[in-house]
Amino acid sequence: METIKTGLFSAVTRLRAEGATAPVLAFLVFFSLYVVVNPEILTRFQLQNAANLVVPLAFAAIAQMIVVIVGGIDISIGAIMSLCNVSFALMMINLSPAIAIPATLLIGVAAGLFNGLLVAYLRLPAIAVTLASFFIIGALTRELMDRPGGGISFEFFLATSGELLPFVPVSFFWLSLFAVALWFVLQKTRFGRHVYAVGSNPEGLEAAGVHSRATIVMAFMLSGLTVSIGAIMLAGSTLTGDPRSGDAYLLNSIAAVALAGVSFAGGRGSILGAILAAFTLGLIGNFLYFAGINASWQYIIAALILLSVVAIPAIVERVRKAYRESK
Amino acid sequence: MAKEQQTTGGASASPVSLRLEVKNLSKSYGSVHAVKDVSFDALPGEVVALVGENGAGKSTVSKILAGAAQRGTGQIFVQGEEFNPGSVGDSRKVGVSCAFQELSLIPGLTVGENLELVDKSPIGIFSQSKASSASARTLEKFEVDHISPDSAVSSLSLADRQIVEIVRAFIGSPNILILDEASSALTPPGVGWLFARIREFTATGGTVIYVSHRMSELEEIADRVIVMRDGTHVGEFRKGDWGRDQLVSLMAGREASSQFPETTELRKISEPILKVKNLRSDRISGIDLEVFPGEIVGIGGLAGNGQSELLSALFGARHAKADEWTLDGRKINKMNPRLAVELGLGFVPEDRKLQGLALSLGVGENLIFPWQKIFGLGGKPVINNQKTWLGDVINALSVKTRGASEPAGALSGGNQQKLVFGRWIDRNRKLLLLHDPTRGVDVGAKQDLYASILRLSDAGIAVVWLSTEVEEIVNVCHRALVMYNGEIVSSLRGEQLTADGVVGAAMGGN
Repeated sequence: METIKTGLFSAVTRLRAEGATAPVLAFLVFFSLYVVVNPEILTRFQLQNAANLVVPLAFAAIAQMIVVIVGGIDISIGAIMSLCNVSFALMMINLSPAIAIPATLLIGVAAGLFNGLLVAYLRLPAIAVTLASFFIIGALTRELMDRPGGGISFEFFLATSGELLPFVPVSFFWLSLFAVALWFVLQKTRFGRHVYAVGSNPEGLEAAGVHSRATIVMAFMLSGLTVSIGAIMLAGSTLTGDPRSGDAYLLNSIAAVALAGVSFAGGRGSILGAILAAFTLGLIGNFLYFAGINASWQYIIAALILLSVVAIPAIVERVRKAYRESK
Repeated sequence: MAKEQQTTGGASASPVSLRLEVKNLSKSYGSVHAVKDVSFDALPGEVVALVGENGAGKSTVSKILAGAAQRGTGQIFVQGEEFNPGSVGDSRKVGVSCAFQELSLIPGLTVGENLELVDKSPIGIFSQSKASSASARTLEKFEVDHISPDSAVSSLSLADRQIVEIVRAFIGSPNILILDEASSALTPPGVGWLFARIREFTATGGTVIYVSHRMSELEEIADRVIVMRDGTHVGEFRKGDWGRDQLVSLMAGREASSQFPETTELRKISEPILKVKNLRSDRISGIDLEVFPGEIVGIGGLAGNGQSELLSALFGARHAKADEWTLDGRKINKMNPRLAVELGLGFVPEDRKLQGLALSLGVGENLIFPWQKIFGLGGKPVINNQKTWLGDVINALSVKTRGASEPAGALSGGNQQKLVFGRWIDRNRKLLLLHDPTRGVDVGAKQDLYASILRLSDAGIAVVWLSTEVEEIVNVCHRALVMYNGEIVSSLRGEQLTADGVVGAAMGGN
C-alpha cells in the first residue's frame, strides 16, 4: 500500500514537473461532460469510431511535441502526414504491408532528417525550414496522387482500426505500445535526456561535452517516424490515401501541444499530456454534435478550452507568487 | 605603453614538461580585439591565475582553451601536442575541462542527470536511479553531499549551482582545469572548499587556470599571476612577488586621463534631490544614498555586484523597499517607472538595443517615446511638432543621422546610445540614472557624452552614473560609490577618488 502511494505520488510530481496536470484534468472534465451529454460514447461502435478519429491526431501531437521539446516547431507535420499516407496507400496496391510499412516509416524519417539537418547544422530557424518543406512535400504528394485512392484492404482496416477485444479499439493498443516505447526512449536512454537537455539549455549541453546538433537531428527524425505511424493509422481507418488528409493536423498538432502544457521555449513536455490533449481536441466536434450545438462553434469552443487550460495554471501561479511576496 | 614583464615562469623548464603552452593567441569579435597576441604557459601541478578588469580578455582565453570559442590566430599546445578543439567535447577528450562563468548546467534536469550526461554518447540506456546513486557518490567524494542528486538544478541556490558546475568540471579526471570566476557566487566556506579541491588536484599533478577578481584568493592559491588589460598580456608575477597595489594599477592602467574634460566644482546645496535609507531589493541591501543637485555620482564595482539592480530599483523598474525614500522633497512609498518620469527622473538602461530603443522606428520617434501620450496622435504629426527640440538634441549630441525618420537600427552603436541618452535632454529632468552610457562607444562619441553630462550637471541636474570604466568615474564624477556583494562598501571623493582606490574597493579589500 505504502509503495503504491509513493509510486502515485512520484507519478503526480512528474506530471506536474512536465506541465501535464492541466491537460490531464481538462481531459477528465471534458470526457465526463461528454459521457453525460452522450452516454452512447461508451458503446462499442462509438468508442471505436472515436478512437479512430483521435489516434492519428495523438501521433501528430506527439511528433510536434518532440520537435518543440528541442526548441523548434514543425510546420511540415501535416504535409509529412499526407505524403506518408499517400505513399502507403499507393504501395499497398501491389506490395505487402511487410514492405509498405517500413518503407513509409523510412519516408517519415527522411523528411525529419531533411528538416533536422537544416535546423541543426545550417542553424536556420525551424519555422522557416519546416515551412519550406511544407511546400515541397505538399507538391510532391500531389504529384504522387491527385485524388483519394490507393489500395488499403479491409484486413488492414481491421488490424489498425478494429477491435482488439470487445470495448478495446485496436488503435488504442497501437498508440499505447508506441507511447510506452517512446516514453522509454525519452526517459530511459541518454539520447532522451539529451533531447530534454538541448531544449532546456543548448549551450549547456555543448558545455557538458555533448554534441547538441546530432541530438536535434535525431529528434526531428524521431518526430518524422511518429508522424508516419500516424499516417498509416489514418490510412487504415479511412481505407484510402488522400493527398489532403494531413492538412488538418498542422494546426491541431500545435494546438494539442499548447493544450498539453508543453513549453514552446523547449525542454519540457509529457507524452501523456500530448495524447490526452489530442483526445480532447479531437472529440470537440463530436461533443458539440451530440450537445446539439452548431458545428461552426466548434472552433470557438476549442479555442476557449485551449485558452482556459493554458491560462488557469498561469493565473494560479501568479496568484501564488503574489501571495508569497506579500508575506 | 611598455610591457612590464617581471618574470617569465616556466621559461627555464624544458618544453616537454610544459602542460600548457599558449603562443601569440589572438581573437576578435567583429572589429573588437578581445585577445591580442597573448602568450603564456603552465606547468603540471601549477595554479596560474588570469586577472584583469572586465573586458580584459580573461574569459575569452578561458573559452578558447575550453573549446567553447574558436581561436583567431596563434597556437596552443597541451602536453607538447598542438591543440585546436572544435567543441567542449573535444577539449574534454584531451583532458582540458572548464567550469564556466555563466553557469552552463541544464536547469530543467536534475543534478544527477547533469553530472551523469557529461561526455556520454547518446546511445545507451539511462537509468535515473543509477545516475542518482552514481552522482551521490561523486558529490560525496567531493564533500558536497548536502546537494541532493535528485533536485532539479533550477531549484538550487546560485552557490550550489556553481558547486555542481565545478564538480562537473572535475569529472573525467582532467589534466588542465579552467575555473572561470568559479568562486564568484561562493561564500567564504565555499571558497575554502574550492581551494581544498584545487590543492588535491594540483598535488596529483593537475594544472589549474584560475580566473578571479578577488585579491585575497589570488594571494592564497595562485602560483603565478598573469595580468591582462585590453586583451593583452601586461605583466606576470610569481607567488609572493606582487602586492595588491601593484597589481591593481597594472590592471587599471593610467594613460587615459587627458581625454576627460574638466569637471566643474560642485556648488554647495544643502538639500539632496534624492535620499534613500536602507534601500533593499533582490541582490541589493542596506543602500543609503543622497544625491545633490548638479552632482555626478559614479557607481563602480565589478560586474554583478548589484550596481544594475540599484539603478533599476531607483527607477522603480524592480521591486524595492526603503525605510525612507524622498525624491525632490516628495515621499515615495513605492516607485514605478511612470511615477519616476513624472517626478523628473530619466533612465538610460543597460542594453540599449533590448531595453532602450525600438530599432525599426525612426530616430525622432525613439527620442520622443517618454513624452508621448498613450491616446493621441503618433508618428509624423508629433515629430513635426517637436522638430526644434529634436534638432537641438541631434545637434547637441552630434548624432550622425540622415534625419528624424531614419530607423534607429540603421545608426551605429554609439549613435544609438546617444538617442537613449538624448531623449532626456531639456525635459526638466532633475536626476538621470545612467547605466554605462559609454559602453561600446568610440572616443569621439564618448567626448560628446561627457560634455553633455557636464552641461547637465552645470544646469543643476544630478547624475547617478554606473560605469564599468574606472577612468570615467575618477575623471568625470564628483564622488564614487563602490559596490560589492549588493552593498555600497566605499564612498570616495576628492583626493581619495583614484583608480587604485576604486579598483581596490571593488575587489572587496578596503
